[in-house]
Parts: sequence; C-alpha cells; structure tokens
Amino acid sequence: MREEQVKKILKLTGVAFLLLFCLLPFMWVVVVSLVKEPDFLLPQVAFDVTFDNYSDVLTSGSLHLFEYLRNSLVVSAVAALAATLFASLAAYAITRLKFPGRLLIPLVLLAFSMFPQISIVGYLFKMMIGLGWINTHAGLIFPYITLGLPLALWIMLSYFSEISTELDRAALVDGATRIQVLHKIILPLAAPGALSATLLVFIYSFNEFLFAMMLTTDYRARTIPVGIALFEGLHGQIPWGHLMAVAVISVVPVILLAAVFQRKIIRGLLQGAIKG
Amino acid sequence: MKESKDRYLPNEIRDAYLFILPMLLFAVVFILLPVLGTLVTSLFREVTFLPSRFSGLDNYLRLTTDRHFWQSVRFTLLFVGVSVAAELFLGVILALILNESIPGRGFVRVAVLVPWAIPIAVSARMWELIFNFDYGVVNFLVQQLGLAGAPLNWLGSATGAFCAIVISDVWKTTPFMTIILLAGLAAIPQDLYKQAMVDGTTFLQRFFYITLPLLRPVLVVALLFRTIDAVRIFDLIYVLTGGGPGGGTTSLSLYAFKYYTSGDFGYGSAISLIVFLIAGLLAVFYVRFTGFREAVK
Repeated sequence: MREEQVKKILKLTGVAFLLLFCLLPFMWVVVVSLVKEPDFLLPQVAFDVTFDNYSDVLTSGSLHLFEYLRNSLVVSAVAALAATLFASLAAYAITRLKFPGRLLIPLVLLAFSMFPQISIVGYLFKMMIGLGWINTHAGLIFPYITLGLPLALWIMLSYFSEISTELDRAALVDGATRIQVLHKIILPLAAPGALSATLLVFIYSFNEFLFAMMLTTDYRARTIPVGIALFEGLHGQIPWGHLMAVAVISVVPVILLAAVFQRKIIRGLLQGAIKG
Repeated sequence: MKESKDRYLPNEIRDAYLFILPMLLFAVVFILLPVLGTLVTSLFREVTFLPSRFSGLDNYLRLTTDRHFWQSVRFTLLFVGVSVAAELFLGVILALILNESIPGRGFVRVAVLVPWAIPIAVSARMWELIFNFDYGVVNFLVQQLGLAGAPLNWLGSATGAFCAIVISDVWKTTPFMTIILLAGLAAIPQDLYKQAMVDGTTFLQRFFYITLPLLRPVLVVALLFRTIDAVRIFDLIYVLTGGGPGGGTTSLSLYAFKYYTSGDFGYGSAISLIVFLIAGLLAVFYVRFTGFREAVK
C-alpha cells in the first residue's frame, strides 16, 4: 500500500533526524577535542589528530579540573542521597498516615520547585555569608538537597502508593516501629524508585549552575559547570581544543549514568512530570 | 490519593509531622525564607558599602523607567514564546514518529538523553564553538551550501544571537519534551485508531480528532514545566552571549544577576521578584485555563 511506504520512509527519516539532532553537536565537541587546530575548517589549516588536548588538561594543575570534578561528584552525591532519604520519610507519612495537610504538602513542594532560582539566590547568598558557608561544599549541598526534594518526593510518592498497606499494617501490629516498617518493608520494595530519585537529583545537582556560580569563589568548592563556563585556558585566547577536552571529560559521569540507567531515568522523569 | 474525612489520631498526626519535618525544614529554610528575604530586600535601598535603608517601592518605581529592564522583559517573553512553541512543535512530531515501532529503540532512547544530561554550561560552550564566526561549523556549512555568501555574525548580532540561543535551547530541551509526550501517546488506546482507519479517516483527521484531544492533559503539563523553566533562563545566556550584543539578549534572570554581582541587592531583588511574578502568573494561567487540574488528578 502507498500509505504504508510513505509511513515507513517518514519513520526512518524521523529516527535518522532525531539521532543526528541529538548526537551530532556533541560529536563535534569530541572531534574538536581530538584535533590540533580547532580552525581546521579553514582551507589553509591542516586536520591533525592528537591526544595532546587531553594530556594537557589532565596534567595541568592550574586548571583545577580534578578539583572541580571532585567537588561536583561529592556535592551531587550527598545531595542526591539526602534528598531521596528525606523524600522517602515524607512520602511514607503522606501515603500511610492521616494528618491535616496530607494532600497539600506535595502540591506546595511542586509549587516551590517552580520558583525561579534567581528569586532565591540573592538572599541565599547573604544567608551563606552569615553562616560562613560561601565557597564550601555544605554551602551547595544544602540548597541542592532542597532543589531535589520536590522531584524526589513525587517519585517516591508514586512508588509508595503502589505498595499495598497490608504488609506494613501487619508489621505494626506485630510491634514494629514506623521507621522499621519504612526501612525493612517499604524501602526495599520501592528500591527502583529510590534509585530513580537518586539518579535524577544527582544529575540535576551535577548540572546546576546559578547557585554554584554565586556561592563559590574558587577551586575549593567550584563545580565543573562553573569551571567550564569560566574556562579561559592556559594562555589567554580561548583554546577550543583544551576546552572541548574538558567538556568531554566532564560529561562522562552523566552520560554513563544516562546510558546505563536510561529506563530508570525516563521512568523517574515521567513520574516527576506526569503522574502523581 | 483520596482524602477520607474520618477522624485523625493524635499520635498518628505527631508521627506524620516528625516524618515530614526534615523535608519541610529544608524547603522552608532554603526556598521559602530566601524568597521572603528577596521580597523584603526589594523594599530597601541596599547597595554594598552604603548604609541600608527602607525605601518602600522605590526599586519598583525605578523599574518602570528603566529602558534596559523593559528590553529584558521583551527579550525574555519573546524567547519563551518562540522556544517553547518550537520545542512543542518538534516534540510532537518526534513523539509521533517514535511512537511507531522503530529499529534500535534502546539506542534512540540513550541518544535522546544525551542533550538532556549534558550540563547547560557545557552545551553553551559547545554552541559557542559551533556558531563561531571564523571557523564555526554552522558558518562553514552555510557557505558550502551557498545559503550565504559571507559568514553570518551569529553571536555578534541581535538577531543572530537570539537565533543561536533558541537553537541551543531547542536542542537541550526537545528530547525531554519528546519523552513526556511519548508517554502520553503510549497511553492512547490503539483500538481508537484501528476503528478510525476502518472508517476511512485521513492521518490528519485522526491526529486532530483522536491524538490531540487525548494528549491534551500531558501536553498541558509539559507546556507548564517548559514555560516556567524558560521564563527563568539564565545559564545558557550567561555562557553563550553574556547577555549581548548590547544587552539585546539579557534575560530577566541575567539582568537581576548583574545587579547582584555589582552589589545592588535591593534593585536586583526587585527584578528577581518580577521574574517570580511572571512565572507565578503563567502557572496560574495554565492551572486555571487549560485543564491542568484534570491532568494532575
């Protein structure tokens, strides 16, 4: 049938377009990171493949690449775990206990998650000066936990509400405490949800820019996105080869997570955005 | 979650609040308090090295005559309109295609997550290179394909910079849009389409009378999230154009940030609060007028 053939061609064109659209720009980053002269498109410049850009940025101490990466990983991991923990506690209460405000709290958190960061960061900066937390890991971890909470809460809510309350009722009758019920019964059953929440909060924290820009001053707490944004290179004029090598290295953690846990991440995104 | 109206048990209420307390503490201290602080600060003349004093609505009055502020408002709204519309359009098309059984689904899924997972700061530097005047690949292609005789000044002209920002944003967020819409499409019963095919409908009829109405709840949620996100755009512009040329691409968030970093916290706070209000108004608009409530039920 003609319509079938048209459909098939459309489908393949669409898939090809999507793949090129998503991957080609970053492929370009990889290419430039592996080339000696970034202006090789000009007719008089040679296309020389080299690993120098990588060895340069990996061996240079003054770029602080490893410090930025370490800060990003530490801050994001702690924030992701803490947000998931606090969200699980809250989700337990919201799905298992009756109290005034039970339905309001998830909506309030949802509304909070839509607050523009710029309306938070100015005063947060003053608070952090007061606490002496400017340019510290704690100064980023605490706000990142908070930014991750709404998403983590909605994900945990959707998993917890799918788990039958029979089991935990029985355990409570047998004399278990609520914390034990959450820890021994519900969390193991909702482990995939906890993984989704942790992964998503990790990636969001890893990518966060405005707070990191405002609340850090140097390599002791600065995260990799800010490091890359402010990257001036080793000798003035933007060294694109070096910058793109840093870019490739810095996205390895998130791309790996996305590739390995694609199903978990997509399910988490959907629960955060649609269900509830 | 259904609310049953039976009585509350005191010890259950106490336990519930204990479980919720850590989350609530974080939300109050690191979101609610700073926003209220911003509101209060916006009522003060608060500039570094000067004594802070209450100034009422002075900062807001200053906004009304600030040409650069209105330029930012125009730019931000234009950016929201154009980029969200483009993302929605492209997202719907891609979702329709991916909803069919396609080869290499797992690989496509990973590919879709790549733009989403890369930090905006990184993708902004990526586009900065791609749109480079002298040796960016876009200018190379444009000239090779004969679309323009001379290299286009992408990041150095107002229109070029606007286009570059929209393209970068579309690249970064369309995959997310596609994923959400795809889930919405998957929930539409296939029988409806089979029946409609039997009735001899065209593809467009099926799209407008079956797909679109049934996709509406998901569409509205996706639109809400994207719009609110676009209103507060900061990272991409800060890194890609720095707000230039001539302040032509300064978003409201970036404009407020510039006052924060120059030490004028009162005025910066007033601008931040305008961003907050615009986001709030748009959210209210979506919830009231587009059936968001049914979507979230």
